[in-house]
Amino acid sequence: MQHQFRSPFPKSSLVSELSSASTSSSSLISNSDVETTLIAANKTNATVPIAQHEQGQDQDPLHNIQQNRPRRRSSRIGPKNGSYYSASSSAPSLSATSLHLDSHAASHAANSEAVIERYTPPWTEPYIIGIAGPSGSGKTSIASKIIQEINTPWTVLLSLDNYYKPLLPEQRKLALTGDWNFDTPDAVDLELCYQTVLDLKEGRKGHVPVYSFTEHARTQDIITVYGANVIVIEGIHALHDEKLRSLMNLKVYVDTELDICLARRLSRDILSRGRDLAGALNQWGRFVKPDAERFVKPTMRSADLIVPRGSENVVAISLLIKHIKKQLIKKSERHLDMLDKLTDAVNGGMSVKLDPKNHPDQLVVLPESNQSKGIYTILLNKHSSRDDFIFYFDRIATTLVNKALESHEFKPVTIETPLNVQFRTVEPQDTPIAVSIIRSGDCFMHSLRKTLPEIAVGKLLIQSDSLTGEPQLHTESLPLSISAKNTKVLLLDAQIISGAAVIMAIQVLLDHGVREEDISVICYLANEIGLRRVLMAFKKVKIVVGVIGFRENINPDSGENAEVWFRSRFIDARYFGTS
Amino acid sequence: MSTPTDITSNVLLLEQTNQLKGLYSIIRNKNTHRSDFVFYSDRIIRLLVERGLDQLPVKQADITTPLDVTYSGVEFLGKICGVSIVRAGESMEQGLRDCCRSVRIGKILIQRDEETALPKLFYEKLPEDIEDRYVFLLDPMLATGGSAILATEVLISRGVKPERIFFLNLLAAPEGIKAYHDKFPEIKIITGGIDPKLDEKKRIDPGLGDFGDRYYCI
Repeated sequence: MQHQFRSPFPKSSLVSELSSASTSSSSLISNSDVETTLIAANKTNATVPIAQHEQGQDQDPLHNIQQNRPRRRSSRIGPKNGSYYSASSSAPSLSATSLHLDSHAASHAANSEAVIERYTPPWTEPYIIGIAGPSGSGKTSIASKIIQEINTPWTVLLSLDNYYKPLLPEQRKLALTGDWNFDTPDAVDLELCYQTVLDLKEGRKGHVPVYSFTEHARTQDIITVYGANVIVIEGIHALHDEKLRSLMNLKVYVDTELDICLARRLSRDILSRGRDLAGALNQWGRFVKPDAERFVKPTMRSADLIVPRGSENVVAISLLIKHIKKQLIKKSERHLDMLDKLTDAVNGGMSVKLDPKNHPDQLVVLPESNQSKGIYTILLNKHSSRDDFIFYFDRIATTLVNKALESHEFKPVTIETPLNVQFRTVEPQDTPIAVSIIRSGDCFMHSLRKTLPEIAVGKLLIQSDSLTGEPQLHTESLPLSISAKNTKVLLLDAQIISGAAVIMAIQVLLDHGVREEDISVICYLANEIGLRRVLMAFKKVKIVVGVIGFRENINPDSGENAEVWFRSRFIDARYFGTS
Repeated sequence: MSTPTDITSNVLLLEQTNQLKGLYSIIRNKNTHRSDFVFYSDRIIRLLVERGLDQLPVKQADITTPLDVTYSGVEFLGKICGVSIVRAGESMEQGLRDCCRSVRIGKILIQRDEETALPKLFYEKLPEDIEDRYVFLLDPMLATGGSAILATEVLISRGVKPERIFFLNLLAAPEGIKAYHDKFPEIKIITGGIDPKLDEKKRIDPGLGDFGDRYYCI
């Protein structure tokens, strides 16, 4: 099978990626003894391959291609308005940014008619591609080629091989002698696949079964996928079920001569799966070929696009990929546009300064004091030592964490003091959990642990595309207690710039069943623009802020602001010493 | 926690939020284990110190930001030091250090004279230049005010200006506040809680017990 993967990718770089293949990818699947949450790119790169083959080894090249692929390519759309305040946590150098106040004001003026009040995360509008075709036609090659080329985080490859129905004991006997038909649509649980895709589309976790070809049963493992930007469904019957088809944005049929399919299938069955020639031919003649004619070929009619000659058809595949990329660019633009339009219309939009008094239930700003002003000055001073920077950030962070805890719920309690006097007071109602947005939220870890030593901490990695500024969720790892009823969550992020990362993080929490009113965002520096968006998108989330950066503080002559943090994440860079 | 109005001038009481009450409910509870007592006391002390530091003046300062733009901020002014009344006051030193890393700390040992039953100064060791400093006087409980008054007299005799002294404690009784302010009306008392009264044995009621004993494993 391995040679089949190489042939469609003539690029020399790929070959080297294959040869430098790490072994981590296979553990991705096999480690899932318990329920495993897999997120695209939780290996920093992009894709979750979910496919289970008989022996696994024919799958390895696919995994490795995806694992070792560089995250970003040059084929990205150019910056559009509003994207200059990239919330990139890869910290663009402070001096490299330039602010164009005018264009910004103009963009907001233009957008002011169309105000959006809700945030729709990109994963509830995933781009879904179905790829069908007879066994051996090259579906997997095309799917992996697409995934490799579009290079988008949170791309999920669903192989219908995972959805084979478990066999009864007598059926299993037939399967072991090659007398069971795996090629009818009835052998595959298309309903379950539909459910997985639907769950993903509605912002829930999707559960993918793992099928064992040796046992002909589902294993104990379940692969959990959450949040998908792009879903590729690949399998001979991918286009069979009408409900599943109705979810797809693009339906592809790979039409390869059955002779060629047979040749490929034989080499795969005999070389990689240890079958004998007679058995493989028997199965082909009895089931695979007739069912390909009977069930698979007719689904060609439902396809939007037919790729003749399978993976050899380089022209068709590149046209296909171009089309997908175009659709993804549109999707990304819609997402950015929506973030842009999340503007506080109620309070006069951007023309009126944000007044925390208008958001008494949502916004808590640390009262200004000599100490807070002094600490702010030290943190802004480029000549402050890192030692001082860390020390003073920890100090203000502790104050912020305490402030956030004030808004939590308390219940009455009567205690007895050492004088044996009854004393009526209150105690905290519940134990909160914390979720840190990597890396800026990690600056709060020290002070958080000093205040709540036993708190459970989850992490989210959200990065903005370096060119478009579109936020992309890469990894989530959240405490189990997040699913408990009414869990209070402290969401930590040192800075809010465009608001995109925090908005996305809140959406992830909501998708995990957290209520809006149970979320407190703790943030030291918040840009007015980003803050407005968060307030607009989530009207019950609390935000505890150290300092708000107002647009009026931007110097109109130079377009620069003395307060560096309007567009740059500098706190984490200095705190962790990477700038 | 009713607070007679006549004693509240020059008393900075931490805002009585639920979160603060929650912290006190732990250290007031006689069944609280020592490790929790220490941890939650430290959290309250931290809040007291932050409140105390906020009383200190600042001066304007221009700094250069990483964008090489000048920003007009403020800078901390004046030297400070802590003075703890041995033994219980020493429990508050770490909280002070958490906010001011290299702060100088003086010590004053005051004990009850067995013959006169009055507080008596046994030992004091203070920074040489204490008269130029802002002083945070540390003693967790203000009951009768006897030792705090004596300690403050020591500070003033060393040239510290009364308006530069801040007396930090976790729990105060109205009697103690009154006694202290009768002597030193201009000194700010920063406290986290004011209990209704002293009991017949001059202990804060309902109080939290003997702070030093509970903090220091005796």
